Amino acid sequence: MKRFRLFLAPDVKKEEAWLTEMSENGLHFKKYRLGVYYFEEDTDKSYIYQIDFQSMNDKTEYLQFYRDVGWEPVDHNFGMFHYFRRNAKESGADKIYSDASSVKDSYQRMLKFYLIIFVALLVLPMSLTISTWGGFLIQKILVCIDVLLIIVYIYMFYALRKKIKFYTQDVL
Amino acid sequence: MKKQPDDFLPLSQATFYILLSLRETRHGYSIMQDVELVSNGVVKIGPGTLYGALGKLEKQGVIKQIRLDEDARRKYYALTEVGKQVLKLEFERMQKLIQNSRNFICEMESEDQ
Repeated sequence: MKRFRLFLAPDVKKEEAWLTEMSENGLHFKKYRLGVYYFEEDTDKSYIYQIDFQSMNDKTEYLQFYRDVGWEPVDHNFGMFHYFRRNAKESGADKIYSDASSVKDSYQRMLKFYLIIFVALLVLPMSLTISTWGGFLIQKILVCIDVLLIIVYIYMFYALRKKIKFYTQDVL
Repeated sequence: MKKQPDDFLPLSQATFYILLSLRETRHGYSIMQDVELVSNGVVKIGPGTLYGALGKLEKQGVIKQIRLDEDARRKYYALTEVGKQVLKLEFERMQKLIQNSRNFICEMESEDQ
């Protein structure tokens, strides 16, 4: 079974909740490709899904660590969003982050990552298109797409900032 | 400028228990188990939290990675000299806190009764 759905980075908790809910109904997430979620059907099983945003230089070691503690690696997106699941019928923690400051850190890593993409893939190509402007149709289309994506990214930065603020604890 | 051991204080509860667990060389899972055991089951650190914390602590030079030939699939960690000092200083800080406040808190408790 396939399902198309778009989640922005700040909505990672909603994505986890959706995958867990799908699994409760017998559809277990297996693979992600460009907005398309692939599910396996099995009404006897139920999993809790969690997503870790993490860049690492040793992926084998990272995945082994998760396996050691009972979270099965499912798939990843950009090599940054790592999907894990564990059997909902077994006892254990439902979350991979156990305090607010580590949740905050994960949103901060996302913000940094998307800022780099924003400059490298949106701002720089945009300035290149404008500096070589000839009024061609293809350039107009490119600029339109770019402007649209830039608006999405700006919204995303705003939402990420809000999350970071929410999870920043005041030291009393 | 390089950070001095006391610049890291105070530590969060999770960080203190992680550093304490590294009195012996351990890998991630073993750190989680030790923290739960030593805290009598009160502190449970999630894998996402631990992985992030280990990366941060390593970058700060408080802990270091150790490679064991017999288990190449896992990363092992140990305290650095700075890490040992950080742990000791935090312990002393908390001990002073208890010493300085004990009598007052006891008084408050007897007044309440």
